[in-house]
Formats: sequence, C-alpha cells, structure tokens
Amino acid sequence: MDEATSVNEEEFRRLCDFLYRRTGMIFTETKRYYVERRVQERMQATGATSFASYFARLRSNVRGEIEQFVNAFTINETYFYREDHQLQCLTRDLLAERTAAKQTGDRLRIWSVPCSTGEEPYSIAMWLLDNWPQVDRYDIEIVGSDIDTRVLDAARTGIYGKRALMRLSPEQIAKYFQQLDEERWQILDDLRGSVGFAPVNLIEPAETLTQGRFDVIFCRNVLIYFDDTSRRVAAENLYEALAPGGFICLGHTESMSRISPLFEVRRFEDAIVYQRPLKRRA
Amino acid sequence: MTKRVLIIDDANLVRMYYRDALQRAGYETAEAMNGLEALEYLLAQPADLLIVDVNMPTMDGLTFLRALRRQALPLAATPALVTSTEAAQVDINAARAAGANFYLVKPIAQDLFLRYVALLCGGAPQGASR
Amino acid sequence: MPLIRKDAASSAPAREHADLLRSDDADERWRAARSLATSPAGAAALGAALAGEQDPRVREAIFTSLARLGAVDSVLPHLRSDDANLRTGALDALRAMTDAVRPHLRSLLADPDPDVRLLSCELTRALPAREANSLMIEVIDREAHANVCASAVDVLAELGEATAIASLERCATRFAGQGFLPFAIQVAIERIKAQQEATDG
Repeated sequence: MDEATSVNEEEFRRLCDFLYRRTGMIFTETKRYYVERRVQERMQATGATSFASYFARLRSNVRGEIEQFVNAFTINETYFYREDHQLQCLTRDLLAERTAAKQTGDRLRIWSVPCSTGEEPYSIAMWLLDNWPQVDRYDIEIVGSDIDTRVLDAARTGIYGKRALMRLSPEQIAKYFQQLDEERWQILDDLRGSVGFAPVNLIEPAETLTQGRFDVIFCRNVLIYFDDTSRRVAAENLYEALAPGGFICLGHTESMSRISPLFEVRRFEDAIVYQRPLKRRA
Repeated sequence: MTKRVLIIDDANLVRMYYRDALQRAGYETAEAMNGLEALEYLLAQPADLLIVDVNMPTMDGLTFLRALRRQALPLAATPALVTSTEAAQVDINAARAAGANFYLVKPIAQDLFLRYVALLCGGAPQGASR
Repeated sequence: MPLIRKDAASSAPAREHADLLRSDDADERWRAARSLATSPAGAAALGAALAGEQDPRVREAIFTSLARLGAVDSVLPHLRSDDANLRTGALDALRAMTDAVRPHLRSLLADPDPDVRLLSCELTRALPAREANSLMIEVIDREAHANVCASAVDVLAELGEATAIASLERCATRFAGQGFLPFAIQVAIERIKAQQEATDG
C-alpha cells in the first residue's frame, strides 16, 4: 500500500467513528486491513488522491458515497454458505436452546430477511439437513422475505450460477441441485418446497406482524442502510417477530449495540447473536 | 501482567484523552461507545477496570452498570470508575446505587485520572513509564 | 366531502390506545405505544406516559413512536430528567428527528441549564456541516461552562471548518488551566486543518 492511499491509526479511528454514527457499522482494529481495502477500492472509484480527501467526500455524502461505501462491504456476497460460522452456531448452540422446551413434532421457525435471491434460506435448509441430526424431529419452517418481489420470484425459481455455488462441495451440489446447462444449476423441487417466500418491508409493523413469531432470525446487511428512525422501528419489529428467547443473527459488520437495547447479547463459540429476553426485568 | 482498561464514552476526544494518559502510563486500552457495546466487548475479553461515562446513546452508563452487576462473576465484579459531566449529588448517588466504585466529575486532569485508575486497578501498573 | 372525516376517524382509536398506555400489562402498553406512532393526536399521551413508565422496553417504544411523529415538544422536557436512562432516551429520540429539532436548536443551545446545552450540541451532528459549524462556533465563543465547550469541540472535531479555528484557539486560552479542553481543541484544529488541505488540494 503506498503512502497516499494508506490510512493511519488516527484516520482509521475517525473513519470508524463516522461509520458507527451514520450506519451502525462497527469495526475493531482487527478488521483494519479489511476496511482499508474497501477504502482503497472507493478511493480508486472516486479518484480521491488521499484518505483525507476521500473522507471529506464520504462525510458530505457526495453522490451517495455513504451508500456506495456500505455497498463495498456487502454486494457480490450472496452465495451459498456465506458466513457459515453463524450456521455453525445455529446447529451447535441456538437450536439446542430453542428446542429444549419443544416436543417432537413441534414447529421450529427460521426467518431469513432480507433473503434476496434465496441463497440464504436455501443454505439454512441444506445446512440443517447436513449438520443437524434432529432435523426430522421437528416441523421446520423456513421463510425467506424481501421487500423486492422480483428477487423473491428469482428465489422461488432457484436457478444459480457458478459464483453462488463456490463454497459448496461437488457432493452438495449433486445432492441439492439439478444442472440445467454449463452455467446454471437449479435447486431441487423438494428443497424448493421446504422454503416459503413472502414479501415484507422490515419497517412496516403491519407486514412483519403477519409473519408470526420465529425461533431464529437471520437479518444481515440491511439495517446499515436505514436511517436512525427506521433502524429503531425495524429493531422493534424484529423483536416482535421473535418468540421470547429467540435469536437474531446480524451481518459481520453490524451490531445491535448501536441500534437497540431491546435484546440481550449472547456470545457462543462461533458467533455473537442477540436474544429476545425470556422474561422481562422490572 | 499489563492491566487492561476499557474506556466507555461516546465522545471521540474524551476517549482519546483517556487513552493517551493510560497508554503513556503503561496500560492496555480498549474502547466502546456505549453501554451495550461495552457488554458485548466484555463477554469476549475481560478488563481490569472500566471507565464509564453516563450520558451515552442506546444504553447509558448507569443502565450499563446495573446490567454488568447482574452478569456472572468475575465479570460482574469488574471495578468501574464513572466519569460524568453531571455534578449534582443526586447523580453521584444514582451512580453509586447502580454499582459505580468511584465517581469523578468532568473535566478531569490526566494526573488525577491516573491516580484513581491506579487505585482501582490495585496499585501502580506494570511497565509504567515513571 | 367524505362521509367520515379522516381526523375524526383516527382520533377515536388514538384515545383508546392512549388509555392502554396506562394498562398494568407491559405488553399492552408496548403495543399501544407502537400503534400511536401513526396518530399525531397520540403525541401528548405518549409524552405524558414517559415519566411514569418503568419498563425500559416500553420506554424505548414510546420514544421511537415520538421520533416517528417528530413530536419534539413531547420529548424535550425529558432532556432535563434526573434519570439518566430517560435523559439519554430523549436525546436518542431527538437525534432521530433532525428536521423537527432544527427550529429548536438555537434556543436549546442557549438554555439556562448547562446539561441541556451540553446534550444539545450532540444534536447538531446530524445537520449539514456548515450549519453545525456555525452553531458550534457561537457556542464556544460565549460558553462559560467547560463541559459544554468540550461537547461542542467534539462535534467540531468531526465536521468543523476552517472558520472555527480562531474561536477554538480563543476557547483554548480561556480554559488553558483545564487539561482536557486544550488537548481536545488541539486535536480538533489539527483535524480541521488536515481536512482543509485535503479539500483544497
């Protein structure tokens, strides 16, 4: 990294502070390299010649630079088994807690919101089939939701290119997909039938309420795009959409600590997740 | 062992001021911008002392202290030095009731700050520059 | 003319929800607080419920609804609360309604209570930089309270402009004996200068 594009410690702290206040994204020193790479990408794209001039642009949000910057962390990342440490956490710890009070045959509900073109809810289904021995004991319902009905149509169809499948083994691809041609694979009908899709706007209480209550919610990389008020409303909607004791998993740059005190933070071996408290404290 | 101090304050320059003093005195520092972030941090890594501001977004310092004191030991027993702009007796009493070990009213000079830090950390830090 | 006027239709349920804000059941109060987010008639009831509300979750929902309504007048009194949770909850809500807060800022920054002045500095962060910059300059030029200045300097360190430097230097001289302020002001000036060079160059 050359002198002009490098980010010194003081600049890194200022950037983190700014991002935290504006977007709720949270970065520690350990993510410094990762953040610097994204800064360099954006500096290149905007023609900024120093960090300071890029930061000025970001601060005054020239041509929607804040959204562009956030995008640099999130787009092109919709592939199967993305952030699988959270899936690991799901089967190692979260489901054990959620099923402790359930009987065989009880319903277990998981929500992926926003689900975009379906990679996440299908990944959850595949992961449970492959990694959770109790998968047949419960009536598992996986719901994928997004505000964009076009991506939901694509999710229902379930056709993906090579990039989306890059983290899957040939065995997994053979087990869950049907190859359509050189470049396209479609999720098998059985698996498609196991995931339901419904359009939902996360900041509309009337829309989130109709989805009922879930045991686990995956809500990754969407709250960082909201303004303060929308984030608060979304957090309250998510709280209502969780069963007491239910868990919510956020994206890797996100933390509920910037957004809402409604949840309790829980640290498991593989991930940090947020929990709707079982009982309320007076 | 170098003592680790977690600075919990939403003001960037206040954190910087404490960090500057603490690092020169040989402490290791970490930072959080509100009470919830501090709780999240402490679940991963313990600290020897907490510097806690009162007025912070999402979770204020006193709500944080009450939540901290409800955690399991040894986390719940982490000493906390509350530093606040609120100087009234009612504020000091509220902080004590929430679980503060000591209360300093801002602005605080670095040397006085370090004296209380050393006291609450249990003696002078290892590797102190003087 | 429509058969049922819209305001008449919406105020009856609002009254019902306002009553539910006093329910013994926290879940009911939570639902009522959330429902009132869409009825301006509910702002007064939401504001009044805050002082007596002990459940932090319900408080949070009330503040969110007040923020959605842009009901500054119902939130502002709580900025003076002795209860840190209520006070910072009010600040968070005000932070989330910049446009509604804007007309009140100048008088908040001149409030007789230094705590209110101090917290109000935070609210300028969401304004366009130029506007925040001039408000914060006014504060440090006249402010006698070190902690209020410190709060203004923290904002200037983020979005201050070159026009703030002279005032910052005077402020540092006024509070020369107070370790923190001269330190903070030096950092703020350095940042403003670095930013200035970057934008000029």
